[in-house]
Amino acid sequence: MPGEPPAVECRELSVNYGRTPALEAVTLTVARGELVAVLGASGSGKSTLLHAIAGLVPPARGEVWLSGRCVATRQRCDPAERRDIGLVFQNIALWPHLTALDTVAYPLRRARHSRRDSNAQAQQLLERLGIGHLADRRPGELSGGQQQRVGLARALARSPVAFLLDEPTAHLDTHLRAAFQASVRDRRAETGAAALYATHDASEALALADRVAVLVDGRMVQVGVPELVYAEPVSAAAAELTGAFTVVTATVAAAGPAQVSVDLGSGPMIVAGGGLRLGPDPVVARVLLRPDWVVVPGEVPGRVVVSAFRGAHTDYQFETDIGAVHAQLPGPPRLAVGAPVTWGFARAWVLPVEAARRAEPIRLTPAR
Amino acid sequence: MQTATHHVRRSRRWCRAVLATLLIASVPACATSSTSAASPALTLYTCASANVEQAVVTAFRATHPGTAVKVFRAPTGQLNARVSADTRSGGIRADVIWACDPLTMHGYDEQGLLASWQPPNAAAIPAAYRTPHFAGVDVLYVVVVVRSGQPAPATWMDLTASRFHGPIAIPSPTFAASALGLMGYFASAPNYGMNYYRSLKRNGAVQVDTPADALTGVEQGTYAVGVTLANAAYADQKKGSPIQVVWPRPGGVAVYAPIGITTKPHRSTLAASFASFVASTTGQRVLARNGTYPVLPRLGGPPIPAGARVAVPDWPSLFSQYKRLLAEYSSIYG
Amino acid sequence: MRERAGSTAAAVALTVLAVAVVVVPLVELGRVVPAGGSAALTRVLHSPGFGSAAAHSGELAVLVPAVAVPVGTGLALVLRRPDVPCRGLLRLLIVLPLLVPQFVLGYSWSQAYGRGGFSQQLLGAHWAGLNGAVGVVVVLVVDAVPLCFLISSAALAVRAQPQLEQAARVSGAGWWACTRTVTLPMLRPVLAAEVVITAVAALESFAVPQVLGTPAGYQTMTTRVYADLALGSDPALFTDAVVLSLALVVLVALVVLPSDVLLAPRLRTAPAPSPAGPAGPSRRGPPGMLVACVIGAYCVVVALVPTAAIVLAAVTRAVGRAPTPSNWTLDNFRAALDAPTRAAIGHSLELAALAALILTVLGVSAAALGRRGWGRLLGTVVIAPFAIPGSALAVGLLIAYDRRIGGTLALILLAYLAKFWALAHRTLSGAVDRVPPDESRAAHTSGAGPLATARTIWLPALTPALVGAGLLVFVSALHEVTMSSLLYSTGNETLAVAVLNSQELGEVPTTAALSVVLTAMLLVAAVPAWLAMVLARRRRAASQPVWSAVEVADAR
Repeated sequence: MPGEPPAVECRELSVNYGRTPALEAVTLTVARGELVAVLGASGSGKSTLLHAIAGLVPPARGEVWLSGRCVATRQRCDPAERRDIGLVFQNIALWPHLTALDTVAYPLRRARHSRRDSNAQAQQLLERLGIGHLADRRPGELSGGQQQRVGLARALARSPVAFLLDEPTAHLDTHLRAAFQASVRDRRAETGAAALYATHDASEALALADRVAVLVDGRMVQVGVPELVYAEPVSAAAAELTGAFTVVTATVAAAGPAQVSVDLGSGPMIVAGGGLRLGPDPVVARVLLRPDWVVVPGEVPGRVVVSAFRGAHTDYQFETDIGAVHAQLPGPPRLAVGAPVTWGFARAWVLPVEAARRAEPIRLTPAR
Repeated sequence: MQTATHHVRRSRRWCRAVLATLLIASVPACATSSTSAASPALTLYTCASANVEQAVVTAFRATHPGTAVKVFRAPTGQLNARVSADTRSGGIRADVIWACDPLTMHGYDEQGLLASWQPPNAAAIPAAYRTPHFAGVDVLYVVVVVRSGQPAPATWMDLTASRFHGPIAIPSPTFAASALGLMGYFASAPNYGMNYYRSLKRNGAVQVDTPADALTGVEQGTYAVGVTLANAAYADQKKGSPIQVVWPRPGGVAVYAPIGITTKPHRSTLAASFASFVASTTGQRVLARNGTYPVLPRLGGPPIPAGARVAVPDWPSLFSQYKRLLAEYSSIYG
Repeated sequence: MRERAGSTAAAVALTVLAVAVVVVPLVELGRVVPAGGSAALTRVLHSPGFGSAAAHSGELAVLVPAVAVPVGTGLALVLRRPDVPCRGLLRLLIVLPLLVPQFVLGYSWSQAYGRGGFSQQLLGAHWAGLNGAVGVVVVLVVDAVPLCFLISSAALAVRAQPQLEQAARVSGAGWWACTRTVTLPMLRPVLAAEVVITAVAALESFAVPQVLGTPAGYQTMTTRVYADLALGSDPALFTDAVVLSLALVVLVALVVLPSDVLLAPRLRTAPAPSPAGPAGPSRRGPPGMLVACVIGAYCVVVALVPTAAIVLAAVTRAVGRAPTPSNWTLDNFRAALDAPTRAAIGHSLELAALAALILTVLGVSAAALGRRGWGRLLGTVVIAPFAIPGSALAVGLLIAYDRRIGGTLALILLAYLAKFWALAHRTLSGAVDRVPPDESRAAHTSGAGPLATARTIWLPALTPALVGAGLLVFVSALHEVTMSSLLYSTGNETLAVAVLNSQELGEVPTTAALSVVLTAMLLVAAVPAWLAMVLARRRRAASQPVWSAVEVADAR
């Protein structure tokens, strides 16, 4: 719908805790109905971003807009209760003295619904999340997953313009996690609300989100569709958040649209990919290879040193003259440890020079 | 089950901490309990003020070197509580009791706590200040204080007159024995009687607990007139409090502070010496020097204005009827 | 097995101590009432004015908590707001009345607002209601507010779970709705403790009703007890005093038992530990400056002016003299600080510190040991001596122990333990049950022994509550006059002896000087304690950045 203001908009948003900057000049727009995953490591500022949008911390600079209304500037900061937001806390934050029903009815009561009306709606929400039978239990009598669903129901009860979910699956088992994600998706589709989903889990972010925003040390370094963020990270730090990779040094040059020439010493190979600010003139740069871009056989010789079966695929580590390389090949193990191997790659991404300053370790373990 | 173990573990360390603290706590207790003297000792219970009591004890020890005098000094209420505790846990511990009013002393006497005793100079002490078991050693005079420059009442009855209408502080006889003495005096004084208290109340009298409260109240300006003790009022006046002390007719009401020796089984041999010392001329001079009115005449002490009269309540009749009077008083002042 | 034995030993030790300091004296006191006790009871119940005295005591026990608990807790809540300027100073001023001994409180208020007091001299108006029911209630409330403020502040510090409040705000609750529906319910056990403590303290109060109530004929149970004792050389009157005291215990049991059952059901909390942090920036309601001004005005009226009255009385030559420089003198301090008084102050400080130390340990132990029936029983048992008038309790102790430890400071210490145990127990029990068991288990599995766990896990979490409880006991013991004036002996004088002497002589300036010295000493002593607290907070902050509130959550 053109002309409709975005559900959430952060403009150059900075937040300090004391003198310590926690967020620096974050600009982010979330359209109505869109789900944006905020991907970042511990301490990168994910929760701070969500709390600033919710109104729990004031901005040091910049602005927050909700549905086209400015709710926070440096001078004026609407309190949380006056923002149309549903927040699911990372540690759930259920009130120990209230039952599940009372907890979910709470936002409705605050919105001046009658008690009967609030309780009915709350009961309905609990039913929807499959915990209607637990309505009269207090948090102490609920399991982690049940508590999480009560927390979600509480956020849903507000019918907000945006849901803010702060690592909501951190405490959940794998199967609960899937169920939870599904319920978020369904509910969001129903209400058309936007959602910001903070997580450090790459697979969760990439799978759920319409777009992924990558936070590194309080700065938003990249925002894009999951495929882009995965395939074309702006830095090794950003790449690390979205999955495993190998960095090798090579002579590179642009080789036409979405193609790059990579020379590892044994002559140039033209593969899909590219790089930021990459020109036709060959330069020495650090090249990022995702494990699933590696192909066997290929032109580069090496030796298998590690093989780890992962079910749907197998992870390998090759020892080569240019260093260790992480590869991910479909199917069960086909290469024996110790055996020689030749490998190549179907795709490569050249990291910007300044972003390559950190020599990132090669990680065999893919993101959990 | 796990929770239980947890509590258990937690409790064990607290148990240790408790025991350790108790050990520490008992150290000063042990240290102080070893202070007892081998020299002749005397235990005195008194409600005389600290400076008076200390001066007298010092003077006594000067005449009886090496004597250890243990003193328990407290207001009458506390003194009573202490004596009651004593009698309920093995008998009175004091050798000498020096109270602040005859009524309290009479109560002890009724309980058989006082031995038969008279000071050697008993004849010099007015008969009204003596019984066979105790003798007065100093006198408190209940008088009136008003702020400087204000009209003073000539008689006690004036306080019920309309020109003294206003807040008059009177100490409560349920709290202060001196006030009880005052009431006892008026109850049987011609023209007064308990109706005097009713008239006072109609004229604005308010009840405070002690004569000291009344004095402070007048000095502060809370009350226009107060009924209090002469020695305290003169002491404050000397320091500069803006008050005048008035002895209305028929007189400042005298309440004597008696001393006596107890019936404690192994009473100190010094008990009678000490009590007699306080009543002696030497002891009386010490009292006078320390701001109290000695019971023996012409030994000094705080001023008594020329022409001032002294009114003495009939204590023996008061002993028998003070409860009835108190009940009547309570019905007036609630 | 050893563990169980340890727990049993601790429980036995606590029980023995409770029996020794609480039950034995009370039983001894009960035995004072002779076989014809029912006759004495009838006499007391039918004596003129008993009904109104009991009604007045009941009235105080209801009104004082009803006002003091909301005010104290409200102040504690409001002073959490980071936008209120001068919070440290305001906190100090709010607590100031606690440092002023009750035995000069009545004087200070009549000097400040009574007839002929400051307000009359400066504004030409005085508060006629000061002498009477309203005055007694107001001054007792003022005396109780700092206590509620301290307990609530400590509890808020221990129980602060900012995320629970944030969750309410995000759910659409404004500041008030959030406070009402989340913060206060979380504080319920501590609020119950405050109600019990202030109600019982009001029942037991003597000095204030004596000075402000008596002039208006406002008698309470305690003033009657003291009146009976004052004429108590008559054994019948003494018995009446004891019967009245025991009746007071019954009255308290009637107040405390139901409130224990009704008000303080255990909250089983989901372990939702969130590091302390800003409770949220959402500043609704009046601006911080206005709030600070209102609290400041309150402090001026209830703390500064009455305190100034005492200070001026202490430096003025004689009562009634204008408190102008020409009348100033230091003689009163000289009189208040002569050698015997200094020794007495030393004894009082020692005793108060020991009592505070022992009772905080006992309070935590009892609270930690007995979360169920036993602990509650103990909590109820130790409240009894808190309610009983000091002289009656002291008589019980004298009868029970004078033959053995009479004439030592230990007897007075025992009295303080008995009297103020409830204060420590009630203050701490609310805080202790919030240390999540998992935290101690985690410490154990990390190799921490019991002591290390106590030091590293419990102590930091409980520090505010421990400091609060210790301070309350310390100050109460230091200001205790009645019991120690009965239990002291030659060479073991406490402050009470000096206070009663100067009071009895009507030497207000000396009493005032003594109070000023005491308050100043407490303030001076408070400075290092305060510095230590600040340093500890800094150290904690250094190891865990201020902004950890949210970011540590990220790490999970």
